[in-house]
Amino acid sequence: MDITDLKIGEEAIIKKVKAKEPIKGRLHAMGIAKGNKIRLLDHTLKKQTWEVDVEGTRVALRDEEAKAVEVER
Amino acid sequence: MKKIKAVMVGQPNVGKSSIINAISNARLHVGNFAGVTVEKKEVEVRKGEYEIDIVDLPGIYSLHAYTPEEQVTKRYLLEESYDVIINVVDANVLQRNLVFTLQLLDMRKKTILVVNMVDEVEQKGGHIDAAKLSELLGIPVILTSAKEKKGVDEILDRVIEIYHQPKCGCKIYYNEKIEEEIESLAKILLKSPHFTDYDQARFYVIRLLEKDEDIYRIVHDLPIFLELHEALGEAMRRLQLEFDVEDVRDLFADERNALAKSIVMQVMQLPRQETLTDKIDKILIHPVLGLPIFLFFMWALFQLTFQIGSLPVDYLDQTVTNFANWLKGILPPGDFNSIITDGVIPAVGAIIMFLPNILILFLGINLLEQTGYMARAAFLLDGFLKKFGLQGKAFIPLVSGFGCTVPAYMAARTLKNPKDRLITMLILGFMNCSARLPVYVLLISAFFATNSAGNILFAIYIGGAILGLFVAKILRMVLFKGEPEPFVMEMPPYRFPSLKALAMELWIKAKLFIKKAGTFIAGAAMIIWFLSSYPHHPELESRYLQKIEQVQNSEQKAQLQNELAAKKLELSYLGQFGKMIEPVFAPLGFDWRLSVATISGLAAKEVIVSTLATLYAVAEADEHSSTLVQKLREYVDFKAAVALIVIIMIYSPCVAAMSTFYAEVPQWAWRTFYTIYPNVLAWILAFSVYHVLALLGL
Ligand SMILES: Nc1nc2c(ncn2[C@@H]2O[C@H](COP(=O)(O)OP(=O)(O)O)[C@@H](O)[C@H]2O)c(=O)[nH]1
Repeated sequence: MDITDLKIGEEAIIKKVKAKEPIKGRLHAMGIAKGNKIRLLDHTLKKQTWEVDVEGTRVALRDEEAKAVEVER
Repeated sequence: MKKIKAVMVGQPNVGKSSIINAISNARLHVGNFAGVTVEKKEVEVRKGEYEIDIVDLPGIYSLHAYTPEEQVTKRYLLEESYDVIINVVDANVLQRNLVFTLQLLDMRKKTILVVNMVDEVEQKGGHIDAAKLSELLGIPVILTSAKEKKGVDEILDRVIEIYHQPKCGCKIYYNEKIEEEIESLAKILLKSPHFTDYDQARFYVIRLLEKDEDIYRIVHDLPIFLELHEALGEAMRRLQLEFDVEDVRDLFADERNALAKSIVMQVMQLPRQETLTDKIDKILIHPVLGLPIFLFFMWALFQLTFQIGSLPVDYLDQTVTNFANWLKGILPPGDFNSIITDGVIPAVGAIIMFLPNILILFLGINLLEQTGYMARAAFLLDGFLKKFGLQGKAFIPLVSGFGCTVPAYMAARTLKNPKDRLITMLILGFMNCSARLPVYVLLISAFFATNSAGNILFAIYIGGAILGLFVAKILRMVLFKGEPEPFVMEMPPYRFPSLKALAMELWIKAKLFIKKAGTFIAGAAMIIWFLSSYPHHPELESRYLQKIEQVQNSEQKAQLQNELAAKKLELSYLGQFGKMIEPVFAPLGFDWRLSVATISGLAAKEVIVSTLATLYAVAEADEHSSTLVQKLREYVDFKAAVALIVIIMIYSPCVAAMSTFYAEVPQWAWRTFYTIYPNVLAWILAFSVYHVLALLGL
């Protein structure tokens, strides 16, 4: 499962970041990296943009990137 | 006096500028980094017998530089010479920040760690053990709060201390297997006479394992490159097998993340609780309510700009007029008197009057930025902007464009993808800058009812933005095929804006504006005045003077005087120029005066107002149309006024903005395109609007 499968407010552990470089590097720099805790905070009406909290940092990302982050409850 | 050179680095929003501002007795210089228009802040402080020079580098998330600004910081770190690195981190998100710190420590330069915003951690009931953190990392650690000015001056003491130490005491090592590979690769690098320092070789090897192209380019020309390249490939393969990763980059990312995590666990307690940001975000970026709230904020901003900003206008207007009349009385009559009291003062005055409007608009944009709402707006609008081939982050330069186009072009650097950046920059001119505000306010008060003024203004701004989006879409479909850059962005926590910083910004803006009005615009006004007063026509004048003497009736006298003034203006250099370009603008209903004013707007948009003031000041003797507004109503028809507004919304921005664009975009093809297309588009749209209004019988 990935970020887009989470419900708002739900927490999970990041298993793998499947995005391509250089986006992967950017996600890592924002704290979206293996083993970190992630919580879904919000999404826009059409579920195109997502907001998550990883270890205290809030990050906004698009559908494509959110789908590339594998998580486990 | 000994000189110490330090650089300050850290991720965005950790409070570096606040720290720089909080250092006591420091002299601040603001300039640019060589060759690029990235702002460079530098402070000089004296401490005992030392002169410490600190360069504030642009915020950077990772040494895998992503945006052009991050590239500037990385280059500086790698290529410039300095004695000490001051790494600033945000205590609230220590783990994420430490990942970058670990990358910096790979350099093994003398580094100190400044953990800022401890006030916020303490307020949440958290605690950081600085001594332990220092022990684990092997470098000095200072806890600071730039907001409460705590610990800031201690930074200098630590800088001096570490300056005297022989080298960095960093203790960070990666997994044994990784270090083994690093060591054997570093040995190859050390065979080259370019490398004498093991620490530097180690750093280069780590960067090479992480496929850093900047470093690759450096070692590429070394004689040992072939050997190194081969060994590097083998090392990577071994590591990938050993740790079961697809890419060694991931291995380092995981290592650093795990290290940072375990360090944070040992040094910090931070109870997790629902923060204010959580609560506010529940409302402001609510899936349904978010957008309407955003639109309301924007609407309110423009209402405020107009309503409150126009309160002191009459008063300022009267003051300027009185001042000019008073000066006219005491200066000796003649050309000098005239150039000052008829040329410069009314022109500068016509612009100074709009200072309140401009300040309110800037205050609004600053508030958006400082409170953290700007990032939320980018989040809300990303889906919408994507439809037009842009991305959410483009919102930030676009909104800055409402303030001033120059910094907006620079703000476009947050976009990494060159296509995205170019599209954004090409449409930035459609975001009406605050210099255009005076022109709109003038035209709106002359041609629209007062109670609808705020809404008309809002419509102009929204109209410009919508037009920009459509142009972006067309550009994306025709010239820049391909997907926009992915959207990944940090949403900073909401912070109460620092009132001092806001006041400072406003003060700087007001100063710059008055300076611009007093120098550049006064100069432009003088030129316009000169061109509109010369050459003299003594023959024409004496003929009229005779006529005026002959008539008895004072009304007829006044009429003749007006006629004379109008004739003189028409025969002036400016009049001749206006007549020359009039055919271009005639289809839009412009007379030569409006044509000249339009062209003068290329110098600076405010100049349009002062030019109109000069050109329509002809009816001096006419007592019932004393103000510019009344004269415009008399001489310009409604359709032409609307067409003028359309032109100003679209055509090329001022020279300062254009030169910024040229500085940012090196390709001649795009520069040429940028210089031509807005003017063509402006003319076509103004023409259509004029004729549609004519069809409607207005
Ligand atoms: N509470 C608190 N806020 C701070 C502190 N330092 C900076 N800030 C705020 O954090 C925000 C970002 O700071 P700024 O200096 O612009 O960060 P920069 O991007 O690193 O230069 C601003 O709103 C500051 O007022 C601090 O020590 N404590």
